[in-house]
Amino acid sequence: MSEPLLSIRNMSKIFGGLVAVDDVSLDVRRGEVVGLLGDNGAGKSTLIKCVSGVYQAEEGEIFFDGAPVAFASPMDARRVGIETIYQDLALANNLDVGANIFLGREMKKRHLGGLVQTLDDKLMLKESRQTLDSLQIRFPTLTDPIENLSGGQRQAVAIARAVYWEAKLMIMDEPTNNLGVPEQHKVLELIRTLKDRGVPVILITHILPDAFAVTDRVVVMHRGRKVAEKVTARTNAEELVQYMVGAREDAAA
Amino acid sequence: MRKTSLLAMAAGLVLALASQGAEGAEKLKIGFLPGVVDPFYQVMQLGVEKAAKDLGIDVVTQIPPTWGVEAQTPLLDAMVARGDLNYIITAPTDKDQMVGPLQAAVDHGIKVITVDTFLGDGNYGTGPVKFPLSYIGSDNTEGGRLSARGLAKAIGGKGTVYINSTNPNVSSVEGREKGFKEEMAKDFPNIKVLGPDYNLDDANKATQQTAAVLAREPNLAGVFGTNVFSAQGAGAAVVNAGLGGNVQVVAYDATKQAMELMDKGTVSLVLAQKPFDMGYMAVMFAAADAAGVTSLPRRVETGFAIIDKENVKDPAVARFIYQVPGK
Amino acid sequence: MTERASRLAPSHAAAPPGALTPAQRVTLFLSRIWAWVFLGVMVLFFVVAVPLTTGGSVNFLTVRNSQNILVAIIPVLLLGLGQTFVIIAAGIDLSVGWVMSLASVLSALALRGAFNSGVPLFPSVLVGLAAGVGGAALVGFVNGVIIAKLKVPAFIVTLGTSFIVRGVAYLMSENTTVIGLPADIRAYGNDALIYHIGGEGGGLYFLHRPEVGGELLRRMDIILPYPVIVTGFVVAWAMFLLHRTQFGRHTYAIGGSMDAAVRSGIPVDRHIIELYMLSAATSGVAGFLSTLRYTAGSAVIGDPLLLSSIAAVIIGGVSMFGGAGTVIGTVIGALIIAVLTTGLVMLNVDAFWQFIVVGTVVIVAVLIDQSRDLIMARAGGRVRR
Repeated sequence: MSEPLLSIRNMSKIFGGLVAVDDVSLDVRRGEVVGLLGDNGAGKSTLIKCVSGVYQAEEGEIFFDGAPVAFASPMDARRVGIETIYQDLALANNLDVGANIFLGREMKKRHLGGLVQTLDDKLMLKESRQTLDSLQIRFPTLTDPIENLSGGQRQAVAIARAVYWEAKLMIMDEPTNNLGVPEQHKVLELIRTLKDRGVPVILITHILPDAFAVTDRVVVMHRGRKVAEKVTARTNAEELVQYMVGAREDAAA
Repeated sequence: MRKTSLLAMAAGLVLALASQGAEGAEKLKIGFLPGVVDPFYQVMQLGVEKAAKDLGIDVVTQIPPTWGVEAQTPLLDAMVARGDLNYIITAPTDKDQMVGPLQAAVDHGIKVITVDTFLGDGNYGTGPVKFPLSYIGSDNTEGGRLSARGLAKAIGGKGTVYINSTNPNVSSVEGREKGFKEEMAKDFPNIKVLGPDYNLDDANKATQQTAAVLAREPNLAGVFGTNVFSAQGAGAAVVNAGLGGNVQVVAYDATKQAMELMDKGTVSLVLAQKPFDMGYMAVMFAAADAAGVTSLPRRVETGFAIIDKENVKDPAVARFIYQVPGK
Repeated sequence: MTERASRLAPSHAAAPPGALTPAQRVTLFLSRIWAWVFLGVMVLFFVVAVPLTTGGSVNFLTVRNSQNILVAIIPVLLLGLGQTFVIIAAGIDLSVGWVMSLASVLSALALRGAFNSGVPLFPSVLVGLAAGVGGAALVGFVNGVIIAKLKVPAFIVTLGTSFIVRGVAYLMSENTTVIGLPADIRAYGNDALIYHIGGEGGGLYFLHRPEVGGELLRRMDIILPYPVIVTGFVVAWAMFLLHRTQFGRHTYAIGGSMDAAVRSGIPVDRHIIELYMLSAATSGVAGFLSTLRYTAGSAVIGDPLLLSSIAAVIIGGVSMFGGAGTVIGTVIGALIIAVLTTGLVMLNVDAFWQFIVVGTVVIVAVLIDQSRDLIMARAGGRVRR
């Protein structure tokens, strides 16, 4: 088995008196989709925020691509290729698709020998269009502000952003919440596309059908601890529910 | 100077009226731009309008909402841009900063008459600023002296007094402060003078400032409010502190509030200026100048009515209280 | 579209969600240009009404009047420019008026000090500029640091600093004014690029006021005074900064979603500090220009201008919630206020009416902004926030 792309070892995150993540270890290999399951408050979001650089864990280590890493900010995580799509998508409603895809990493044109730099909107639009096309996402127009796009379309923009920046690892936090059925299908398809391209995905969800639709493995958390790790094909819904509600717990894997 | 100038003005008036009738000359148009909205300038406006009516002159009036060059200059510029004004009668809100904008008006062919406040040092014959036609206003330095004497008498010749004023660098109140301090220093060495504080034309601030002085000077004997808002505000502070009658207030400008305070015993002396005269004469001067009169005095002092408890009911004096019909 | 994609596409054949109907597009377009239209209508109104009410002796559309208006908008516009950036980023700067006053005092003191120690006139003027804008930027820096690092709301911070700045300006001035400046700086504050004298004996003169008097002087028109040119450059630079650079893009992003900006790696704290420094700096320029115009520093000059600058910004289409607005909009807003004041004087109507009209226009601007919001939300099938 190849070395895991991402390796979390004995991670703990404490907020004041609350232990949000309690000694969790987790591996993600290239090309696999790992589901991170658990009920509300299980610590799933907190765990991945430690991986994506939003939080810094009190204990534990992270290895990425074989080397130990420490992320002081979200930008650090992005730089090594970890892209995260949060529940609220972190998109700017008043900007258009291209501007969002390139937010924080805008392409610039140099003038006057480097003295003056302007935004290269044309190039950014072209690149955005290419990426969206490759993911088979269609938008009516790319230059209107995204605030009037539907939930699924906005998810698509967030995913396209991560894809453009050549994510080596994609983390998605509850991506199908608030989406209509056809759009949920679309998101799951995009996850499959990513997997086909060799980009591993950590998918946080509490919707079991989604987990069964796309994941290779599932990890269940309960009250901050990892209580189960199963190959998806070899488990079922009732079993997972038992882990999720705390009725059952495996020894630390 | 008074007598001869009056004769000159009367002659000028006759000439003006005659020449207008004879040649069928174009009607004169005058702009009136006082300092700010207050009873003093409102009475002045009455004078301006009466003269305009008597002499058949059109007047364009604009009153700045607040005291300051930023409020007065755009109105002045717009008046000049009209292109149809022959004269502008104005109370410049700063004796240095308004020189430029008013000079621009003069360059454009508009003659300027200043009322109540002056530019430069007020001496348009030999001073640094020479372009205005005339300055018509109170001799504020003398007014300051009169106020000092009145307050000194009211407090018995000794004690601590406090000046509350409006804006610095304005010729009118500056003159009053100067005259007041000079007189105290000269004739009443036992009186200590505090201030002035500047309330920037805000009666509320005048009240706060006076209240603060009252609080830290328990033996304060008198207050001199140098104009409308200062007097009202300072008087209010004295009343609020329950010291009406014990702390003597001398007020410049005979507003209704000042007179009410005099009724209550808070204000012992009111110096009434003659804004109606200023406004009326300014228009007359413009008419005379337009008719060709060249011996208009460059400076006219319009005098005071000194109002105290004794003569406040005398109609000859009471007519100088600033009243605007319907207000 | 591939077969798989078409199977998953929404079943209704209507316009895909996110597109706008033609009717909605037209309404949105109108809502964006209404301020321009209003300005045009107002100008037309005055052009017609002024000669009518004065029997033809006064005209609205004269060279002199147009230049007056350009000069009149300078303080409100410069204050509004900085305010535009700050409000687009969902902040607000209540200290701009007092910063302008402080800058006026600082530049006057520095100019006078330099000149009196023997520095020639033009370099003294530059010293004054540096002192005014530099001092202002320092205040902006303090504002920005407290807002970004200590997370105190901008409304409160800038209100607080405005009081401090006011006190400092009073104390540093000599009873609120600073006089005694060399008289020649009046040329910097009032001279123009072009002078035109019409009619006989006239001509075109450039750069300096021609030494003429009497009738020629009376007929002289002053075109493009230097302060207007300086302001023009500041406006052009602000437009470039806001619409063509990464700085501007990030400003919009921070206003649209602070979260998105932070998580996209935008250095938000530093950007916020820069925004408040920018806002203070434009106010500093305004203070410096007023010192040149009146050849005196004044600690009270910016006092009434704060609310007008915010009104100009709102009329120009900047949303108070952040994320939207343009520089040109603020220019239009400032023009509307100045044209209104001038027109009322020319109609010989009490200039106090301008307050009623401006207030009404501000409310209309906000209503239009909100209805835009409604249309955009309906198009996306979302419920309005």
